[in-house]
Amino acid sequence: MLSKVLSYGLAGIDGFVVNIETDIVGGVPRFDIVGLGDTAVKEAKDRVKAAIRNSGFEYPTKHYTINLAPADIKKEGPLYDLGIAVGIMTASNQIKNKKFVDYIFVGELSLDGSLKKVRGVLPILISARALGNKKVIIPHENAEEAKFIDGMKIYAFRNLKEVVEFLQDGYDEDIPSLKTKNFDEVSKALCNKLDFENVKGQTQAKRALEIAAAGGHNVLMIGPPGSGKSMLAKCFSGILPDLTFEEALEVTKIHSIAGELDLSKGIITERPFRSPHHTASAVSLTGGGTNSKPGEISLAHNGVLYLDEFPEYSRQLIETLRQPLEDGNITVARANQTVTYPSSFTLIASMNPCPCGNFGAKNRECKCTPVQIHKYLSKISGPIMDRIDIQVEVDNISYGELNSNQKAESSASIKTRVDRARQVQIARFAGTQTFSNAKMSVPQMKKFCTLSKDCQFLMEQAFTNLKLSARAHDRILKVARTIADLEGQSEILPQHIAEAISYRGLDRKYWGI
Amino acid sequence: MNEKKMNEIEKFLIFMSFNEIPNKKQETLLELLEDFDLEHALSNPKMKSVLSSEEMLKLLKNYDPRQLNSTIENMLKCGIAIVTIFSENYPQTLFDLPERPLILYAKGNLSLLKEKCLAVVGTRNPTAYGKLVTERFSKKVAESGVVIVSGLCYGVDAIAHRAALDVGGKTIAVIAGGFNHIYPATNFNLGKEIAEKGLLLSEYPPSFEPKRYTFPKRNRIIAGISAAVLITEAGIRSGTLHTKEYALEYGRDMFAIPGNITSDKSDLPNDLISSGQADGIVSPEQIVKYFGMQSKPIQNKFVGLSFEEQEIVNLLEQGEQNFDFLADNSKIPVNILNSCLTTLEIRGLIRKLPSQMYGLLI
Repeated sequence: MLSKVLSYGLAGIDGFVVNIETDIVGGVPRFDIVGLGDTAVKEAKDRVKAAIRNSGFEYPTKHYTINLAPADIKKEGPLYDLGIAVGIMTASNQIKNKKFVDYIFVGELSLDGSLKKVRGVLPILISARALGNKKVIIPHENAEEAKFIDGMKIYAFRNLKEVVEFLQDGYDEDIPSLKTKNFDEVSKALCNKLDFENVKGQTQAKRALEIAAAGGHNVLMIGPPGSGKSMLAKCFSGILPDLTFEEALEVTKIHSIAGELDLSKGIITERPFRSPHHTASAVSLTGGGTNSKPGEISLAHNGVLYLDEFPEYSRQLIETLRQPLEDGNITVARANQTVTYPSSFTLIASMNPCPCGNFGAKNRECKCTPVQIHKYLSKISGPIMDRIDIQVEVDNISYGELNSNQKAESSASIKTRVDRARQVQIARFAGTQTFSNAKMSVPQMKKFCTLSKDCQFLMEQAFTNLKLSARAHDRILKVARTIADLEGQSEILPQHIAEAISYRGLDRKYWGI
Repeated sequence: MNEKKMNEIEKFLIFMSFNEIPNKKQETLLELLEDFDLEHALSNPKMKSVLSSEEMLKLLKNYDPRQLNSTIENMLKCGIAIVTIFSENYPQTLFDLPERPLILYAKGNLSLLKEKCLAVVGTRNPTAYGKLVTERFSKKVAESGVVIVSGLCYGVDAIAHRAALDVGGKTIAVIAGGFNHIYPATNFNLGKEIAEKGLLLSEYPPSFEPKRYTFPKRNRIIAGISAAVLITEAGIRSGTLHTKEYALEYGRDMFAIPGNITSDKSDLPNDLISSGQADGIVSPEQIVKYFGMQSKPIQNKFVGLSFEEQEIVNLLEQGEQNFDFLADNSKIPVNILNSCLTTLEIRGLIRKLPSQMYGLLI
């Protein structure tokens, strides 16, 4: 007997239909799975066999051939277990109902027949909906992440027996599928972030981060150890605009594939904040590996990638950030496949001004030689610096400031300004691929960053007097545009340019001369 | 000086310098030999008595009159002047020194050697204070017309040169290698600018790579051509010690800028002052007066400031302050404060120091 059951596989963050074809014939008992499955797929044989028996069904001693079509795409992971089990039971005539041909089965089986959670349910659901497969059966543990997908019939079960019973007798369209949840309510309820009002002093750094949030600019914070760089970075995601539902889905998709999703919450409602350690490997950052998984930069998609002690990362690692910073996605080519993961994040990097960290500090002395400092700073190449619009210095704060009861401005009130500036940008770039000032193309800059005579004069003076490098020019224009947006000005004024220039500390080479 | 006029003895010195014959031996040869025609000199047994056999072998191997002539010609074409103790351009200040260089390679304005020179030396890694005083003193002194002499190294050296160039003053850099090997490479452009607007000086032929021992040695030229040496900031084990030793040996006047007694980087100047070896200098005026020059009248640069800018200047008059202090005490919103600070900086009224510090530029 032959049966066909649908399931889904993942290539990158998109799903594709997999037909599980099961053929059972008499003869020497055998079990073959074909269709480029990895070891986890091959081992399904033993799990499925035990699961069927232990659920009280029959497993006839016959020759089984399972084909996962299309046969030329690699299949990974244990998510085909359920489909294979249902396929076998249909082919062996234990499930007589054939009306579920348009159902998609996803789930891993345990030997006792219970269904276990799998990675990537959300991206599978999103792709399935787009491809017109509207009925899905998933493990109960994955139910939360499925609740935000509407327009589909999604059923979540705890074990194989429940699934078979549902298909067998019930097969009742009226059994309620999962209820969809309202995103906005969940997103409000889950808010729990570090607040800028608890950060004492550091007014300049906070202002720089506000501008960065408003215009989507990347930031480099320079300061001695213990000056609060990490704290500032952690607060940063709190002043970014809220995730829209579409963005949240995208983020959740990536986390689901990476297996990093908190299954009790189901959907990610906060902008991700990722801070990989500087010993991270290039693959863990970019993604890839034998079983392709998104890396840290993709997990930071629509959120913040925080690289503490930036020059300590290997040079090669830092250079791999170039493409994602430019294009907003990363393409990882491996022997078996090439996958593209989205990776549009705001980079916040922090570093010490020199290897010992005390260069320029008020009360401590730097013991580094000029060569050491030069070497340390030159670890960050020009092309990377080109992609960082804002450089801001952070200094140790005094005990007095630390102990003061004065509350700083709260993240919420900063956020209202950021949101307003983002609205301006959305209106400005309507109908284009650009969403923020930081991502403006050269023609767009020509159009939106026109300078008055006064501004040009100021720029000219700044370049000659402050010895700015050429690469600073475009950065300054973009940041000035954002500052003007924050103030609700349609034109860039000299004070905007002047402020933007103050965020180009490293270009001005007051280090060592 | 062109090739034709150059006499045998100068050519002899150039050849010796190209073959890295030590200064002392050259001096001895100058006394011993009468005929400096290279061919005759090389076969002269007196040469062998002074030079080691390796050095003799090297000289004989490298002896090629045509090549020597073309090398000299090439150097002149590249704008490198060759100043020997026999040329009229040779600085009088160096002539009587015990370890005088017999030959100097120069690029730039040779007449600077005849002017009043102040050596500004110090650590390669100055603190913010060291940078500030080096720049302030160099600028003021250079403005009055005194030539600033230093070694084109990191730190104080580079700041002093830069400051002199910035105010349109004169400066001489004495480097520890040949002109093809400017060290450190980061100062290549600065060196180029000095060659154009000031004077670049070296006792080594252009292809000579700087060695560990050439750095202290060139300090004797820095001390030698200067009337006085100013030490702005240096640790107790700094290379500046060499310059100090030479200056004292040559009877040059020593100036030092006092610093915080708890700062390692001010140890040398403080020691020199307390031991009476150097005059403590607290104002550039003192140096300008010492040279008998007039300092440029101070113009009140702080005119036409906006209300906020004036407020910032008032706060900074009490000393350097960091950003948070300015923000708290001026009550100017952060964005305005940021832009005012930049404008003031562009106008050359204040300076941004590392770690968010700002100071008035007087």
